[in-house]
Amino acid sequence: MKESPKALNEVFGALADPTRRAILRRLAEGEASVTEIAAPFDMSQPAISRHLKVLEKAGLVERDVDQQQRPARLKAQPLADAVGWLTGFEAFWTESFGQLDKLLEELKASEKDQRHD
Amino acid sequence: MTDTPQLGLERRFDAPRARGWRTWTDPALLHRWYGPGCETTIHSFDLRPGGTWRNEMTMRGMRDLSVMTFQDVVAEERLVFVQSSADAEWAAIANPMMPDWPQQVLTTVTFADEGDKTLLTLVWEPFEATPAETAAFAEMVGKMGGGWQGGFAIIDEILAELQAV
Repeated sequence: MKESPKALNEVFGALADPTRRAILRRLAEGEASVTEIAAPFDMSQPAISRHLKVLEKAGLVERDVDQQQRPARLKAQPLADAVGWLTGFEAFWTESFGQLDKLLEELKASEKDQRHD
Repeated sequence: MTDTPQLGLERRFDAPRARGWRTWTDPALLHRWYGPGCETTIHSFDLRPGGTWRNEMTMRGMRDLSVMTFQDVVAEERLVFVQSSADAEWAAIANPMMPDWPQQVLTTVTFADEGDKTLLTLVWEPFEATPAETAAFAEMVGKMGGGWQGGFAIIDEILAELQAV
């Protein structure tokens, strides 16, 4: 909840791109260098580096400054915040309506009971 | 007026309209389903135009307060309310996560017969919003409508993988 709104917008911007989501997926398996990240992509290393920069700016990825390879690593909290934010809408109602379904079942059953008494 | 961005969904319920209406307007029932997987407490519920519904949701130690003001109440047909995040004194406040999000969101719920089932439609739109708020809402609606689900699924996968580690 401490995420500033600007940061959240950057997170959404960063996540909007399929290559960047694929990079995050790769990093979910563990930290990796640009070379390692770029390997499965039909894309130059500088292009991958640019995507990494966007992810880094959004706070989704951190990179070691002192090491030559500058391995990149996933930071989960901003992702969790972004999911939490979206959850506030569609999932709020989807899940609530699932609960409402169950309640309606109960009401239906109790009305039947009353009629049989 | 037509360019007000809207976000809506439809849902069918296996219940006659009267029962569906009851689950929305009887606080003793409403608190049992409203809010995903959280403890919902309804502090007040005054079902008439101008009346308010003060709602508290708690989940994993987090507390969310919101205040709804009813605009229109047509029994078993239509429920319209303006929703805002609220502070501890139940005063409407800007959304803590996104100050540009409309401070007031108009929610229109309609109930219609569909055989012995009920078709419920729910529409949100910004209410008395500033241009910046309307733009923020439109942007989010666009993102959610435009293939966002695919990306959302991937984020879920990533988070699941992280939790598994």
